[in-house]
Amino acid sequence: MSRVDCNNVWKIYGGNVIGVKDLTFTCNDKEFLAILGPSGGGKSSTLRMLAGLEEISKGEVSFDGVVVNEKGPSERNIALAFESYALYYRMSVFENIAFPLRAKGMKNNEVDKQVNAIAKVLNLSALLQKKPAELAGGHQQRVSLARALIRKPNVTLLDEPLSHMDQRLRAEIRAQIRRIHEELGNTTIYVTHDQAEAISLCDRILILTNAEKQQIGTVDEIYNKPVNKFVANFIGQPGMNFMQCKVESQKSVSINTNVGVKTLELAGTVDPKYIGSEITMGIRPQQIRIAENKNLESIVPGLIKMIEFQGDTSILIIELSDTKKTEIRVVISAGGIKFKRGDSCFMDFRPEFIHLFDDTEKAIIERKV
Amino acid sequence: MVEVRLENVSKRYGRKLAIDDISFTCKEGEFFSILGPTGAGKSTILKMIAGIEPINSGKIYFNDRVVNNLPPHERNVSMAFESYNLYSHFNVYENIAFPLKAPKWKLNLSKEEEKAKVTEIADFLGIGQLLDRKPQNLSGGQKQRVSLARALVRKPQVYLLDEPIAHLDAKLKFTTQTLLREFAVNYGATIIYVTHDYREALALSDNMMVLRKGKIDQLGSPEEIYHTPKIDFVGMLVGEPPMNMVDGVLINNRDGKTIFKAGSLFEFELSKDAAIKAQKCVGNENNNLNVRMGIRCEYIKVSDKKISDNSFRLPVYAAVHEAESSVITFELENSFLHSRINRGKGYDTCHISEEVWLEIDQENICFFQKTIELSKA
Repeated sequence: MSRVDCNNVWKIYGGNVIGVKDLTFTCNDKEFLAILGPSGGGKSSTLRMLAGLEEISKGEVSFDGVVVNEKGPSERNIALAFESYALYYRMSVFENIAFPLRAKGMKNNEVDKQVNAIAKVLNLSALLQKKPAELAGGHQQRVSLARALIRKPNVTLLDEPLSHMDQRLRAEIRAQIRRIHEELGNTTIYVTHDQAEAISLCDRILILTNAEKQQIGTVDEIYNKPVNKFVANFIGQPGMNFMQCKVESQKSVSINTNVGVKTLELAGTVDPKYIGSEITMGIRPQQIRIAENKNLESIVPGLIKMIEFQGDTSILIIELSDTKKTEIRVVISAGGIKFKRGDSCFMDFRPEFIHLFDDTEKAIIERKV
Repeated sequence: MVEVRLENVSKRYGRKLAIDDISFTCKEGEFFSILGPTGAGKSTILKMIAGIEPINSGKIYFNDRVVNNLPPHERNVSMAFESYNLYSHFNVYENIAFPLKAPKWKLNLSKEEEKAKVTEIADFLGIGQLLDRKPQNLSGGQKQRVSLARALVRKPQVYLLDEPIAHLDAKLKFTTQTLLREFAVNYGATIIYVTHDYREALALSDNMMVLRKGKIDQLGSPEEIYHTPKIDFVGMLVGEPPMNMVDGVLINNRDGKTIFKAGSLFEFELSKDAAIKAQKCVGNENNNLNVRMGIRCEYIKVSDKKISDNSFRLPVYAAVHEAESSVITFELENSFLHSRINRGKGYDTCHISEEVWLEIDQENICFFQKTIELSKA
């Protein structure tokens, strides 16, 4: 098992194209870390540098404090599982998993023991004599994972392993991956562009875009304290709503609505230099409450333009009563208040859920810890 | 706009029955979705309505007129294909304007009128800045929106849209979906919409159908399809996670109680209403009253304490935490059972192998005859 450190790592292609810019992060021993971002953001370059498949242009990668920059992929003792399974189709599942052990010249009875052990954890015991082609996609993926894990790697690197998975199997596969991680306790780095995947599987998330780190933190931190507008919008489905507001004091903002100016309290403070300026306010669709008591100061009225039924929830598409008639989304759970198109509604923007972003899109509320 | 009605329509490819005796009505101004997995025959139905695919039997009506023998151009439909089908030598503007210029529609628009229409729909779909580009210089998501704009730019009798937003990224899908719904409402458009994504079908449709292997499994409103699936397949096609399916047996006690039992741990007494529902779906094998129970993940309570006399204990297989909720998973004999717990609304801090108490909300329980085999991934 291993701790991974990336210290001021750069990847520069062809002398001037920056793939990864000055990246520093740590993946702790036994941690499950996601590297998340849109395509072209630098995720795969980072993963390839960790794996030793790509040269590090500047900076250091170390495993357990030992710099591995100059070590090749095989010397780093890494397990890599890619999106495509790359199994040997002529061999049985057993032989596929046993392959790395046989390559080391391990004795038969030891191979048997180890393959059976890993197969048990990954729920593959009944399938060991089958050929990969006879297996469903989820099973093939687990065979590929078993083959990667049997070498007892320092670090497991997973590159979009679930992107071609049938959406109906997602909950099942996530549960399995989570369980496998908790049973084996491997240090795991998981690359994905799917924020829902990262949120549900990983302990912490590193967000990369345009070759740069945006934020690293637990799901809770990333979701509730995004450091900028990009992270705020990228995380969550639907992403965060944004609207204009005016900073009234260090602890409050206001929105101009058709029922007058509404003052909203903040959970934290902003630098006094922002007072009087128009800036962007953000609030998550899942964190807006539809209000019963419309006389509260923090209540903002709106008009329901559309309702999108989603099964266990519905999404209200609401025209806010601010001067710009901003369109926002509110997620309500089934069994709550019943609305129809054209209804008015009153929304409670509670202090703890309000985010503010300055014109560089940086989050500016200083929250008490 | 017209009402579109299919009456006992079938279609064969050689000896294979691709569409098997299908009947449904999409009313004028209605947003009607066809939901199904790959290969179910969804696109074939659209092509039959468009007149691109001939049918073997049955009738297709536009209002009261049978259109079986009308060639495509006389049916006046507008279609968007999943594969875009853009003209690569035309730029985006010319692609979108193409249907407006087609002589068969005799629109005879002036240059200004044409430009106004193209610009309006392009701006609406957020591609107004791309009008000078050639398709080969667009991303997949941009191409798809051009294809959609070309389908929506003209007012036909009916819009036929085949997976028109399937290739957009998650965020853009959400906003484009809303735009489509807005378009439908504003223009009173009759839209028949094909998708494999249950979320789109639920969010957009007035009515929908679930298609499997050329047959209709269920017709109804999105709420009906979600809450009262008639067939196990429908329950499992809709929802994230899909509806939980548990195969078990009914045990009728002497004191008139009915027990549902699946394995040694999963056991509870059915309410009167639930028992009646269950009895209707029983299949008799090996002298057991076999039945398949369906329950959505939000209707299973999880607690560290006994919830009621009707709760039972299972060991946790895994707990997956999301931003607003957690999914707790249990392993059963031939399926997994998922329970969704909203933040702070239940025991979501449980850990692997811990035994917890479960209770099924019987108001929302479903029973099915088996039409598909359950298996674990």
